Amino acid sequence: METDTCLQKAAELLAPWAQETIEPEPGRVDVAVAPGDLVAAARALMDARWGYLTAITGLDPGEEDGRLEALYHFACGAAIVTLRVRVPRTRPAVPSLIDVIPSVSFYERELMEMFGIVVEGTPNTDRLFLPEDWPDGVYPLRKDFRMEQLGG
Amino acid sequence: MASEKFVIPIGPQHPALKEPGHFEFNVDGEIVTDASVRLGYVHRGIEKGAETRNFVQAEYLVERICGICSHVHATAFCLGVERLAGVEAPPRAQAIRQIVAELERIHSHLLWVGVAAHEAGFDTLFMYTWRDRETVMNLLEGITGNRVNYSANVLGGVKCDIGPEQAEAIQIGLNFLEERTRHYLEVVSSDAMFLRRTRGIGVMTREDAERMGVVGPTARASGVPRDVRIDAPYLLYAEHPVELVIEEAGDLEARFKVRVRELFESYRVIRELLTALPEGELTARIPRRIKPAETISRVEAPRGELFYFIKSNGTDSAERVKVRTPTLPNMASVLALSVGHQLADVPMILAGIDPCFSCNDRMAVVKRNGDEQVWTWEQLRQYGIEYYR
Repeated sequence: METDTCLQKAAELLAPWAQETIEPEPGRVDVAVAPGDLVAAARALMDARWGYLTAITGLDPGEEDGRLEALYHFACGAAIVTLRVRVPRTRPAVPSLIDVIPSVSFYERELMEMFGIVVEGTPNTDRLFLPEDWPDGVYPLRKDFRMEQLGG
Repeated sequence: MASEKFVIPIGPQHPALKEPGHFEFNVDGEIVTDASVRLGYVHRGIEKGAETRNFVQAEYLVERICGICSHVHATAFCLGVERLAGVEAPPRAQAIRQIVAELERIHSHLLWVGVAAHEAGFDTLFMYTWRDRETVMNLLEGITGNRVNYSANVLGGVKCDIGPEQAEAIQIGLNFLEERTRHYLEVVSSDAMFLRRTRGIGVMTREDAERMGVVGPTARASGVPRDVRIDAPYLLYAEHPVELVIEEAGDLEARFKVRVRELFESYRVIRELLTALPEGELTARIPRRIKPAETISRVEAPRGELFYFIKSNGTDSAERVKVRTPTLPNMASVLALSVGHQLADVPMILAGIDPCFSCNDRMAVVKRNGDEQVWTWEQLRQYGIEYYR
């Protein structure tokens, strides 16, 4: 499938849940969806065999924004669709994609430990990368992370 | 007690290759019934570090994510930052980036053939491939001045040229390696002893491979046509393409064949680029500060798709650099594939994905059971060799 056709098809598949759709650069579509719609949106892509989940990026736009973002990047050939989920900083939670994409566990574990975004329903909540003695509630890729939080 | 699980923890020191990771295998007799992994022993906080350094410094930092595929990390980062800045590296620079990337793939694949052969107890093959690998290491050193962390890239281009003498040296080196590679392809597809350790072992169907989202040679050995160089060409891969190398069997033998056959494609495309090397500048000017935007940069590392997400914020440093290395999706397949196999096959199944822990660990738990038995990787490797003796 040509890249443009691919992107068009993805936009159609995601239309029922899309809050906002932008094209940040050629070959990419960025679709904002509500946390509650994430699983349905991902299922629509997977059921249509539209590419594969290539990565999950956590983003902290800063404390003043009051939110955290999780970006789910799907790739199909040269086309990339990003599902952008914004969650409140005070209670950051997204549903797990484990029922739709069985291999998502590592990505979700990384998102949890680095950003403190709770992934509800994910089978393994153990740390993947951070050390055993890393203090609870300290998320290193958040913008307000300070080395002093590690103590010692 | 029959009802209790017997857990064999392996690592964290050097479970495969000379890198740390920790695995736990639950076994029922010889058969693996469950597997888990704990990574992070070489997590250095590079994503965080990249936010506090300017783009030029961050490029040096990301190049140090991996000692084996350093060039491809720097290339992915440079391509992303250049796109954010609206700058394109000159054609000659792109050709040189591609030549170094393919030389890097040759060194990485030869290294892997050696390591995987070592895990199988076939140390003669290990010694020969690593001897031959020196040829390509010397070529990389000749071009860039370095054996590892070549530092060929700068933002906007490359810092080293390839002159007629180097081109000649590369041609001679490739001729030698191509002949050796023909021999290796014969060995991995016909040596009866070796095939006992690879044929029908660690089989991943195409369906499984797609479901697990594996990438690179691991995916292509299961018949999944997935290669960023072909699917989303970057550098000069559109003008000087590589052919897709694919195998259907999905076992360890197929993973050997895919990687060895890919070497021929690398030799061919390097020769093609050397004879058609565009004239012109090596670098383009790139602004120090970059307007706010987000970009995604994907390249085909020796182990598969390498993914970079870069967000700029109008300053001279990145707001966010996200790296997803190919080992992470491939590692999930090791855990799934180990289940149902003999414990003795685990070293080969792990080595089969060509794991790179340092890549992974920019970002495996010892359960303290009374009857736990801790093995080093060397013990497990020996166990595998003895088992098949």
